[in-house]
Amino acid sequence: MKWAYAVAAVGALVLPVVLAPGQLTVFILLGLSAMAVVGLSLLMGYAGQVSLGQAAFTALGAYTSGLLSLHHAPPLLALVAAPVAAALAAVVVGVPILRLRGHQLAFATLALQILLLSVLSGAQWAGGAVGLQGLPYLSVGGFELDQDLDYAYLVVGGVLLVSLIAHRLVHSRVGRGLRALATGEMAAEASGVPVGAYRLLVFAVSAAFAGLAGGIYCFFLGYLAPGSFPVLLSIEYVVMAVVGGLGSIAGALLGAALITVVVQLLTSLATQPGMPSYAPSVLSYAVYALLLIAVVLFVPKGIVPTLRRSL
Amino acid sequence: MGELAQYLVTGVGLGCAYALTGSGLVVIYRVTRVVNFAQGSFAVLGALTVTTLLAAGLPHGVAEGLGVLLAGLVGVLVGVVATGKPGTTPQAGLIVTLGLGVFAYAVEIFFWGDQPRSFPGLPGAVGGIQTHYLLIIGVTAVVLGATALLFARTDLGRALTATAADPYAARAVGIDVVRMGLFAFAVGGALGGLAGVLITPVQQVSFDSDVALVVSGFSAAILGNLTRPGLTLVGGLLLGVVQALVGGYLSTAYQSEVALIFMLVVLIARAGRRDLVEAA
Amino acid sequence: MIEARDLVVRYGAATALDGVSVSVRAGEMVALIGANGAGKTTLVNTVCGILRPAAGELRTSGRLALVPEGRHLFGPLTVDDNLRLGAWRDRKNRDTGHIYQLLPELVPLRKQVAGRLSGGQQQMVALGRALMGRPDVLVIDEMSLGLAPRVVENLAGHLRQRHAEGLAVLLIEQNARLALDLCSRAYVLEAGRVVAEGPSAELAGSTEVATAYLGLES
Repeated sequence: MKWAYAVAAVGALVLPVVLAPGQLTVFILLGLSAMAVVGLSLLMGYAGQVSLGQAAFTALGAYTSGLLSLHHAPPLLALVAAPVAAALAAVVVGVPILRLRGHQLAFATLALQILLLSVLSGAQWAGGAVGLQGLPYLSVGGFELDQDLDYAYLVVGGVLLVSLIAHRLVHSRVGRGLRALATGEMAAEASGVPVGAYRLLVFAVSAAFAGLAGGIYCFFLGYLAPGSFPVLLSIEYVVMAVVGGLGSIAGALLGAALITVVVQLLTSLATQPGMPSYAPSVLSYAVYALLLIAVVLFVPKGIVPTLRRSL
Repeated sequence: MGELAQYLVTGVGLGCAYALTGSGLVVIYRVTRVVNFAQGSFAVLGALTVTTLLAAGLPHGVAEGLGVLLAGLVGVLVGVVATGKPGTTPQAGLIVTLGLGVFAYAVEIFFWGDQPRSFPGLPGAVGGIQTHYLLIIGVTAVVLGATALLFARTDLGRALTATAADPYAARAVGIDVVRMGLFAFAVGGALGGLAGVLITPVQQVSFDSDVALVVSGFSAAILGNLTRPGLTLVGGLLLGVVQALVGGYLSTAYQSEVALIFMLVVLIARAGRRDLVEAA
Repeated sequence: MIEARDLVVRYGAATALDGVSVSVRAGEMVALIGANGAGKTTLVNTVCGILRPAAGELRTSGRLALVPEGRHLFGPLTVDDNLRLGAWRDRKNRDTGHIYQLLPELVPLRKQVAGRLSGGQQQMVALGRALMGRPDVLVIDEMSLGLAPRVVENLAGHLRQRHAEGLAVLLIEQNARLALDLCSRAYVLEAGRVVAEGPSAELAGSTEVATAYLGLES
């Protein structure tokens, strides 16, 4: 597997320079998805929880950064605040809802995201349905990140950061406890693993990753709307996490990359002249759906863990 | 008739659609233990099919009936994919139905585009109340009544309950557990389709209406822990009436949040009670 | 009725049955005894077609009905509904009347919900449900487990009567004394193998079986 990491690292460093502008945007969005998916994969794989509301934390992060920078907070502070706010929100809602299991948690997280979106759409201070516009670029000590290339490397750094944090978490005492938690809760509880606290910790960390992705997104695009974070985005994250392999960091990265690239290829195919206007959405929905179903039924552990086992 | 009465009837009408969707979830969950996330898609597919059939000149009644039938058939397909492969856990089934819901988007946009659609319902009004709401209420009463009779009074219904209660024993007496599951999916699909067909004349439907519908149906059904049809009906009606009252007296902006908050409160309260029981 | 030869059943890597041969002829009442984990329930599930053998031959003829271990009634349904489902395969013969004649103890319970009955009553319903299919051979898994001696004696009496009318029975029991008392022939199962078989009287007389399964000192 070492060579795969090497290829990925070289690709992440070289690609931004060689990609065409439109492709660079896709690269950046891919990286942002990857950050949120690493968190979700951790939550689903290590805490055994299904969340259909991960994009809510992306939205929270994005709006935190956006609102702070509109109110003239230093952009770097606004960016750092994004994961913090998402994690805090996760702790607040996590205490009541993490007692739910399986489909109940799935629906509860979905409900929370829809509620958040409708609050944002109705809130004057958040720009309502139009959202926030004219957001400044990110700047650090007088250096302004105003090129796509800057954001590409920022995202590479972000993915690396969340992957390292996730790696540390997985290989810590907490990680071992979490594995026990996902496999046999009662046994873990009996052996003194603080199940509730660990589950909340993963939920918060997972939210922070999505929040950071949202923060970068806000500076990269310069505008935000509730419609940028639909329920479907959360489902997309789930597809990426499941396809790559739950609980696997490399799986999350691969899942995000694979789905983004496949959907992008199909979209460019579907926007060829002569194709009907509905072709891009039909094809991308079909791809999400079929990949998700095929992987759940035939590669239930996901691609990366399955490959690891057979190598 | 007064404003309040109007809101009540509208609310009960909406609530009927939620109760039908929720009952579909309950029938499927009881027999297969799968929470069918694609439940809202049955409603959307059924309703969109009716728009096409009516445009093709089919009379009312026939078009609606065929729409419901199609939803039932789609239910069987969903069941085959979600439970047909041996060893598929209910959790995996939930994710599969999530995928099927997204797949339905592709199908719906392909055939009907992404704009909202509607078709005329029963015209006219009685005392300021759209007659169509009365139709929704009447049809729901008959259909849920018939479903209750199916479960309580027929051997097929008993076999469904038996499969839900003890699949091993069901197999031991020769009940085909997989077929019962598919039958439950067919009933669930038809109930979902009926909800869509009934509600569309008073509330437009588009390909992504399924999320709001499945959430409302789940909210209705969660009151009875996804297993109690009676409480699902109560939950649906309660939800519809509260929504109509909120929409009428407060603001329509808060209408859709009612179901979500209701669901969260019920879920959290139930989990709290379960924790207490476990601690005791 | 039941003819199993050299059955092998595995769960993953574990071998639950390792070359078991068992037969029940028409009208015969045969016991299968053995301790927990000997493979009795595995054999039952294989004979009833719920498990598939990895090797060996299994032939059954006539109608076979199962009274599963732990009763496995349909808890939310009434006694009468439980009985009706016993004839699920036979749409035309779902009338429960003859069962109430055979097992009159069930008459006052017919409208009661099965999940709320006592263990003995449940076992009686389970027996009735199995008899609903008018079987030629009845497989009973752990009939006496957890029941009071008086209840067991009552059930055994019913079983004797059905046997006298020609029903073949394969009785799986931990209570070897009861099994040998009821049945003419028996198999002793241990760790997935048949370690002893023969007429009940012979087995009851064997010191080996007596010490291992009847709790008797030699």
